[in-house]
Amino acid sequence: MEQTRNEIVAWVAGQILPHEREVRGWLRRSGASDADIDDLVQEAYCRLAALSSVAHIGNGRAYFFQTVRNIAVERMRRARVVRIDHVTEIDALNVIDGEPSPERVAAGRSELRRVSDAIEELPERCRTIFKLRRIYGLPQREIARRLGVTENVVEMQTARGLRLLMARLLKEDVDETKAAPADEPAAKRKRDR
Amino acid sequence: MNRPQSASEIDDEAAAWAVRLDAGEGAAPELKAWLAGDPRRSGALLRAQAALDLAGRSLAVYGAGAAFSTAQPLRPNRRWLIAGGGGAIAAGFAGAGLWLAQSRSFETQRGEIRRAPLPDGSLIVINTQSALNVSMRPRLRHIQLRRGEAWFDVAKDLERPFVVAVADVRVRAVGTAFSVRQRTDGAEIMVTEGVVEAWRKGRPERARIEAGCVFTSDGSGGAPVAAPERIERTLAWRAGQLVLDGDRLADAAAQFNRYNARQIVISDAAVANEKFVGVFQLNEPESFARAAAAALGADVDADQHTIRLGRLAQK
Repeated sequence: MEQTRNEIVAWVAGQILPHEREVRGWLRRSGASDADIDDLVQEAYCRLAALSSVAHIGNGRAYFFQTVRNIAVERMRRARVVRIDHVTEIDALNVIDGEPSPERVAAGRSELRRVSDAIEELPERCRTIFKLRRIYGLPQREIARRLGVTENVVEMQTARGLRLLMARLLKEDVDETKAAPADEPAAKRKRDR
Repeated sequence: MNRPQSASEIDDEAAAWAVRLDAGEGAAPELKAWLAGDPRRSGALLRAQAALDLAGRSLAVYGAGAAFSTAQPLRPNRRWLIAGGGGAIAAGFAGAGLWLAQSRSFETQRGEIRRAPLPDGSLIVINTQSALNVSMRPRLRHIQLRRGEAWFDVAKDLERPFVVAVADVRVRAVGTAFSVRQRTDGAEIMVTEGVVEAWRKGRPERARIEAGCVFTSDGSGGAPVAAPERIERTLAWRAGQLVLDGDRLADAAAQFNRYNARQIVISDAAVANEKFVGVFQLNEPESFARAAAAALGADVDADQHTIRLGRLAQK
């Protein structure tokens, strides 16, 4: 059964994007460079974009991890330069099981809060335009009229807001990596075996 | 220019395209050409669109009213008034004319979650299978919840209280945020911000409900209960999500069935009583059923109308 583009976008917003920081954190801990991480994550989104339906995917988070791992393994096989020392240790990080944990529920909830905090931190004009567009659903022309600017400015400011938001959401995972040593023992155990 | 674009440059362009497409602009051939220029662009566009979608959900949950409290005050949206009824003349009159112009009713279908901004800057988010009437009177903002559930983010206006009526229950706010859900014997009220007051028509008792508290007005004389976690979880519907935190599978299935024509049926009593934790999209009952089945070692049998969840062979 084919899904519409909007359905797939909504699914990615709910099931994939909230886990991107976690995936990037895992890649970083595995020794991947920033450029490799960007590449791997982007490629994972490309594969999702190629799907005509996501209804068969039960657990978005596990799917995301698996896809990134597969891409990394394929690239290593083709001798592309991807420095990921422990890419196969994904299982040790306990991310592939289908059972959501209470921590993961909390993570999903805090993601929405994080997005809203990031929106509050946008530059003022950018934030106002963003909110008028996203909450009140006002057309660009109407926002432009109210704020006394051109439609082009509204469009550029919204895109700028979106870009700042995306960058901001991923930035925090640098701190999270340091603050989350919980995964280390699991990875270590596997290595010791 | 032969230098390959960096991921960040692609993200910049993707963000611009996501916004353009969201505004209903952007010509198809132009987009096609852009996508064809680099295989990485399709993924970047999907991601940017998803981020835009996530931002909208997040704002529905957390950040609604503040767009109107900026340094640059915004006038009520005249277009809304005009669209509300009566035509252009109504917008120019105070009193009865305006009152009529500002009456409007909303109704949602199964699975539909709708955001309804009001001309005073307040916002209503209406849950599945609900119906309400809004009338913006000079001294009163009056909402009649005829069916279902809605969450209200009320713009502050001391001169014009905001009252929600459901059967004989009344909930009054000045500037605050709360939800009201109709129950067979009254209403359930959850306050997310500020304070509201609730009473039953013709009765003197008033209940004062503060942020983070739930109050069930069913005539039993109970008091508001502090339950901020439960409120946050329950109101996840505003973002199109269902948050389970040790809920019985049977109750979770009943929640999905409120939103989807495709009904979940649990054929095994033991499975129905299993407890579950997770965040799901309300419009994806099958994803939920499959995740539950995988976690519990149960089986799913899905067709166009029904998703059956149970154990085919007992272990």
